[in-house]
Amino acid sequence: MLKRITVTLLALAMTTSVFAQDVADIDRRLRAIEEAIAKLQPSNEVAELRRQIEVLSAEIESLKTRQTDTTAVADTEQFGLGAAASKVYRVDHGISFGGYGEMLYENFAGSNDAGARNATKDRFDMLRGVLYTGYKYNDRVLFNSEIEFEHGNTALGGEASVEFAYLDFLATKNVGVRTGLLLIPMGLVNEQHEPTTYLTARRSTVENAIIPTTWREMGAGVFGEHGPVSWRAYAVNSIRGDRFTAGGVRGGRQKGANAQIEDIALTGRLDYEPFDGTTIGGSFFSGNTGQGNAVNGSVVEGNLTIFDLHGEAQFRGATVRALWAQATLDDVTELNALQGLTGNRSIGEELGGWYVEAGYDVSSLLPRFGESALTPYLRYEQLDTQRSVPLGFTRNPASEQTIFTIGLQFRPVPQTVIKADYQNSDNEAGTGLDQWNIGVGYIF
Amino acid sequence: MTQQQALASAFPNAKPTRQVHYLTPEQLTAAKKESGIKFTDRMIVRYASATGFAYFDTHRVRTLPETVMVLVTPDGRIDRVEILSFDEPPEYLPKERWLEQFDGRKLDDDLSMKRKIRPLSGATLSARAITNASRKVLALHRVLQRANGGK
Repeated sequence: MLKRITVTLLALAMTTSVFAQDVADIDRRLRAIEEAIAKLQPSNEVAELRRQIEVLSAEIESLKTRQTDTTAVADTEQFGLGAAASKVYRVDHGISFGGYGEMLYENFAGSNDAGARNATKDRFDMLRGVLYTGYKYNDRVLFNSEIEFEHGNTALGGEASVEFAYLDFLATKNVGVRTGLLLIPMGLVNEQHEPTTYLTARRSTVENAIIPTTWREMGAGVFGEHGPVSWRAYAVNSIRGDRFTAGGVRGGRQKGANAQIEDIALTGRLDYEPFDGTTIGGSFFSGNTGQGNAVNGSVVEGNLTIFDLHGEAQFRGATVRALWAQATLDDVTELNALQGLTGNRSIGEELGGWYVEAGYDVSSLLPRFGESALTPYLRYEQLDTQRSVPLGFTRNPASEQTIFTIGLQFRPVPQTVIKADYQNSDNEAGTGLDQWNIGVGYIF
Repeated sequence: MTQQQALASAFPNAKPTRQVHYLTPEQLTAAKKESGIKFTDRMIVRYASATGFAYFDTHRVRTLPETVMVLVTPDGRIDRVEILSFDEPPEYLPKERWLEQFDGRKLDDDLSMKRKIRPLSGATLSARAITNASRKVLALHRVLQRANGGK
């Protein structure tokens, strides 16, 4: 019995010793595993860090996409847009600010087509510096204006003008009422006259002599659009027939400067955009221009009506623009009498012209050219400011002009443009004066 | 339109998963190169579901910003482009019809104002802003799908 107990104790003692070693080992290994697990599982701190990153990323996202409380939710359709796209207007729109400008260098030929020495000096002009300001009161009421400085300095022949300034009241989703100093809605250039919208260094002569761009008068009217059709119709103070010349009606513009309004004119425009980038349309201006002036005791009416047809297409780097315009004027004998104009200095009874211009952005052939554009262009225009004159007066053949322009424009970025072109000017008197031009333009 | 409304219209049947991706410098370089657009965004948030991905991009149009949602299909084409906010005057706002020409476009040379994207009469800068945003989003999508083992 004693022997059995001794053997058992001995065996137990040996087992215990081995067992103790195993426990220590297991304990050590367990701790190592626990440490490894602790490394694998996020601590409370890491979880909190992750949560904070989530919150910050959401905050950054809302800042980047401007999902702040100033974003409005509109639920009505506007301007013919679907409900989704029309939800974009912010309630508090506030001030808008922009501008454009252009500089023009003109180098005239030493002699005209008749070989006579040219007296016109080459010039370099800060042609236009313009600031746009506007204010959106709410989705329905906005103010827009353009303040223009021309020729650099008002003390040296330059001008400061309010080019346009109007209030828009949106009556319905497609129709608004506009009042103020309005751009006459004629032609291609008058309403969109920034240097980046037309190809050449100088604006078209047709849209200077026949449509006297930039033409603006005081008035009120309506505007709107229905799908691909847009239109405008205004009543404005008419222009002053007592300031017309053989060169056209340009001098009669009143520009909102204490404008005489003995005569009112109607003007309007209709455009159709069959697909994006292509527009065709027409416009008119019609009204008496006598402004209460009388000749031999009777008031001169001097009705002036101007029509134009125009079209524009842009696709894959190509641009084509064309315009035809014609004006007819009544009572020219009386209007001549108001200024004492005689002989070939008569105002035209009928004046008109047309032009076609085209350009092709050659960088569109190079897919990796980026935003820059390099566009050679051409323009051909014909006009006559004295197609007919009243009996007793004569036409000046110099009023019948043909101008061919060829040039190249480069846009480093879409909002800036440098243009260089050559203009071959001919007239029926054979006294055309050629010139070449460099224009620099910007918008912002 | 708020972002939530835009997402609800984009994913009417299922709530999308919000994903945040932090681009490596190499990924940013690749996205800039493939889009041809300069940008610096490193944190890209997108909303993913089985029907597609929604990306939001805010950029300057002329002097003021706009925010657009670009919906991308699972095979990397534009599903549609939606304008959420537009601070420029309304006459520069792209029309719905003009935006539709982006539907189905993929990231290639034709996605350009010099190729198949028709201009917007009188609103060249608005048109360019959306074209550039579309290229940027499609390039980002490509980079992120590559990182996820996709094509």
